[in-house]
Amino acid sequence: MADQTLPIAGSLDVTPQRLSRAQVLEWLHGWVVTVDHKRLGILYVVYGIIFLLVAGAEAMAIRIQLAWPGMHFLSPELYNEMFTMHGTTMVFLVGMTILFGFANYLVPLMIGARDMAFPRLNAFSFWMTAFGGLLIYYSFIGGFGLYGMGAAPDVGWWAYAPLTARAFSPGHATDYWALALIVAGFGTLGTAINIIATALSMRCRGMSLLRMPLFVWLMLVTSALTLITITPLTAAQIMLLIDRYLGGHFFDTQAGGSAVVWMHFFWIFGHPEVYVLVMPAFGIANEIIPVFSRKAIFGYPAMVAASVGIAFVSMGVWAHHMFTVGMTSVGNAFFVLSTMLVGIPTGIKIFNWVATIWGGKIRFATPMLFCLGFLFQFLIAGLTGIMLSVAPWNWQLHNSYFVIAHFHYVLVGAIVFNIFAGIYYWYPKVTGRMLSETLGKWHFWLFLIGFHITFDTMHFVGFLGMPRSIYTYEPDRGWNHLNFIISIGGMIQGIAVLIFAWNLVQSYFRGRKAGNDPWDAWTLEWSTPSPPPAYNFATDPVVHSRRPLWDLKHPEDPDWKYEA
Amino acid sequence: MAETAQSKTGAAHGETIHLPAPTAWPIVLAFGCTMAAGGLVTSLWVTAFGAVLMVAGCVGWFRQVLPHEEHEEVPVIAQAVTITTTRHVVRRLQIGPEHRAHLPVETYPITSGIKGGIAGGIAMIFPALAYGLIAQHSIWYPVNLLGGAGVGPSAHITTAEIATFHWSWLVVAIVIHSVTCLLVGLLYGAMLPMLPQRPVLLGGILAPLLWTGLLHSTMGIINPALDARIQWGWFVVSQVTFGVVAGLVVAREGKIRTSRGLPFFARMGIEAPGLMESHPDAGPPVDKEQR
Repeated sequence: MADQTLPIAGSLDVTPQRLSRAQVLEWLHGWVVTVDHKRLGILYVVYGIIFLLVAGAEAMAIRIQLAWPGMHFLSPELYNEMFTMHGTTMVFLVGMTILFGFANYLVPLMIGARDMAFPRLNAFSFWMTAFGGLLIYYSFIGGFGLYGMGAAPDVGWWAYAPLTARAFSPGHATDYWALALIVAGFGTLGTAINIIATALSMRCRGMSLLRMPLFVWLMLVTSALTLITITPLTAAQIMLLIDRYLGGHFFDTQAGGSAVVWMHFFWIFGHPEVYVLVMPAFGIANEIIPVFSRKAIFGYPAMVAASVGIAFVSMGVWAHHMFTVGMTSVGNAFFVLSTMLVGIPTGIKIFNWVATIWGGKIRFATPMLFCLGFLFQFLIAGLTGIMLSVAPWNWQLHNSYFVIAHFHYVLVGAIVFNIFAGIYYWYPKVTGRMLSETLGKWHFWLFLIGFHITFDTMHFVGFLGMPRSIYTYEPDRGWNHLNFIISIGGMIQGIAVLIFAWNLVQSYFRGRKAGNDPWDAWTLEWSTPSPPPAYNFATDPVVHSRRPLWDLKHPEDPDWKYEA
Repeated sequence: MAETAQSKTGAAHGETIHLPAPTAWPIVLAFGCTMAAGGLVTSLWVTAFGAVLMVAGCVGWFRQVLPHEEHEEVPVIAQAVTITTTRHVVRRLQIGPEHRAHLPVETYPITSGIKGGIAGGIAMIFPALAYGLIAQHSIWYPVNLLGGAGVGPSAHITTAEIATFHWSWLVVAIVIHSVTCLLVGLLYGAMLPMLPQRPVLLGGILAPLLWTGLLHSTMGIINPALDARIQWGWFVVSQVTFGVVAGLVVAREGKIRTSRGLPFFARMGIEAPGLMESHPDAGPPVDKEQR
C-alpha cells in the first residue's frame, strides 16, 4: 500500500459566513444561470426532495381518508386529485428528477470529465422539468373546474380514456396534466440525450466502455430507454389535447376511436418507465454494495449484459397491464411469457449482488443498510411481479390493492430505498459534510418498519378484494383493521422522512467534515475534494481498471492485473 | 507501473481551466416554453408572452455559442489530495476445487441434445399410438388430445370426435410435439453432464417421473378437461421412453471441452480492438483453433 499525492485544485469553501443582501442575490443568480453539472444535479435532487415531501403529504391524506370506513377527511373530488397528484408527482417529479440529478452530478465525475457534453442543454432540461412540475401544481389554483377544491388533475396518473374526454373531465385539470408532462418530458429527453453523449464521448483516457462504473452504464441504458419511452407518452398527450380541443377522435370510442389505444400508448411508456426509474437505483446499489462489502462487484460483464437485457425485454411487456381488457389468447400468452422473461436478467442482478456481499467484510453503515433493505424488498417485488404476470392470476387481482402493494414494493422498496442509500453515500461528496449516522439509522429502521407495515398488509387487503382508487368502503368488508394498520405504517414512514429531512439540514451546518474519500471507495469522484471544484479535475485522469482508486491504494495488487 | 487517478502525465491546463460560461438563456427559453404551453389553458396573452420569451431565449442562446462558444476561465489552485486507505490488508477468497465441482469442464455438444430430442420424440410416438389403439381403438386419439389441447379448450368435445382424424389437430400436434421434444432434448444435453454417476437412469427415468408427477398434480388446475382424459400410466411409459432414448443418444455422443477457463469476452467471441486489452504479462494471443 502506498499513499498517492495528487495535484488537485482546492475545494469550495463551505464555511458558513454572514452574507450581505447583494451577496445573497449574487449567490442566487449563480444558481439560476449555472450550467455546471454539479449544481444542476443538486438542483434536481433538492427539487425532487421537495416534491417527495409534497407527494408524501398527499399519501398521508389518502391514508387518513382510508384509515377507517366511512371517513370524510377529504371530499371525494379532492381524494381523486390526491391520488392522481401523488402518483404523477412521485413518478415524474420525484423519481425521475432525483435519479437524473444523481446522474447529472456523478456521471462526469465518475468518467473523469469536466462537465456534461451539452452544459446549456443540461440547464434547459432542468428548468423545463422544474417548470413542468410547477405548472401541474399551479392547476390547484389555476385549473378552474367544477369542483370546490380547485381543479388539479383527478383522472389517475394513467389518465385512461374516455375519462379524459371533455364530456367526463370538464375544465382544464386534465389539460394541465397533459401540458405539464409534455413540458417536463422535453426536459427529460434533453437530459437523456446529454447523458448518452457524455457517457459515450467524454470518458477519460483508459476508461473503455467495460471499465465504466456500473452506475454510468445503468444511466446510459436508462437514458436510451427514456428516449424510446417518453416519446409515445408525449405523442399520446398531444393526441389527447387534439381530441379535447380540435375535434379529434383518437380515443373517442363513439366516433370510431379507441380507448384501448390510449392504454397501449400509455403503457408502452408506463411499463418501461418503471425500469427507467429502477435501473438508476440498481446503479446506486452497484456502487454502494461493493464498497461496503469491501469486494469488487461480482460479475461485472453479466451485470452490464443484464442491464441491457432488462431494457430490451422491458419494451415488450407493456400489455401485462391490460390483461383484463380482453386481448386474444395469443396476446395474453405473449405478454405472460415476455413479462416472465424479465425475471432472468433481474435474477442475475440479485444473485450477483448477493455474491458480492458473500464473503465480504461488510460495514453496516446507513447507505449499506438501505441497499440491503432494497435487495430483500426487490426480490419480493419481483416475485409478486411474476405472480401478476400470470394472466389468470392477474384477472383475479387486477386493480386491487395487491397491485398497489406490488408496485409500491418496486417504487418505494427498491427505488426510494436506493435513493436514500445514494443520498447518504454521496452527500459527503456534495457538501463536504457527513450525514449523521445516528439519525440515518433512525431513518432507516423507522422507514423499514413503516414500509413493511404498510405494504405487506396491502397485499392482504388486495387478496380480500379491496379495489384501488376507491374513496371509502363499507364497514362490513373485513378491510377495516387492515386499512388502519396500513395507515399507521404510512405515518411511521412519514416520521422517518421528516427525520431524514432534518438530517439533511442539520448535517449541512453541523455535520462532521467528510474529507475527499470518507467511505474508502474506488471510483473517480472520490479522488476530488469534497465538494469538487468547478472543473472537477485539475489534470485529466487516466485509469487502468474499473476501480482506479483501488489501484492507487493498492499498487502492489492492482485490479488491472485481473480484469479481462 | 505508476498508476494515478489524475495522472501527472495527463494533459496540463496551466493556471486556469476554461469552462462553459454561465448563462440565463436556457432558463429564459424553458420559462417561455412553459408559458406558451400554460397559455393554452389560461390566456392566449400568456402564450404570446411565452412565444416572445422563446424567441428571445433562442436568439440569446445562439449568440452565445455562435460563432464561438463563450467560456469563463476558472483559476486552478493546486492542492494535494491524498488517496489513501486505512485498510492495508488484502485477503483473497480461497477458491477451493469444490467451488467449481458442479461446473462442467466437459459437456455434450448442443447438436447431441437436438439429436436426442428428435430420437426420443420419434420413440415416444410408439407407446402413445399403442395406447390409442389398445385403450381407445384409434391411433388418432393421443394425437388429437395433444392437438386439441393446443388449439383451445376441449371441454365439450366427445370421445368419438377425438378418436377421428382432423387435419388441423394433426398439424398442431406435430408442431407442439416437435418443438417440445427439441427443447427437452436441448435441456437433456445441458443437464446430463451435471447429473452424478448414472445420467441415463436419472435423466431417463427419474426426471420423467418427477415431470409426470408435477403435471399430474397441476393439470387439474391448468386444463381440467385434458386432465380427465389423460391415462397417467401410459403417459409415464411414453415419457420414460423419451427420456431413455434421448439420454442414450446424448450419452453416446462424444464430449467436448467447455470454455470455462477462457475470459468472458473470448467466450462471447468478441475480438474488437480496444474492447479487450492484452495483459502486459500475458502470452501471445491464442486463436480459436488453439483453444
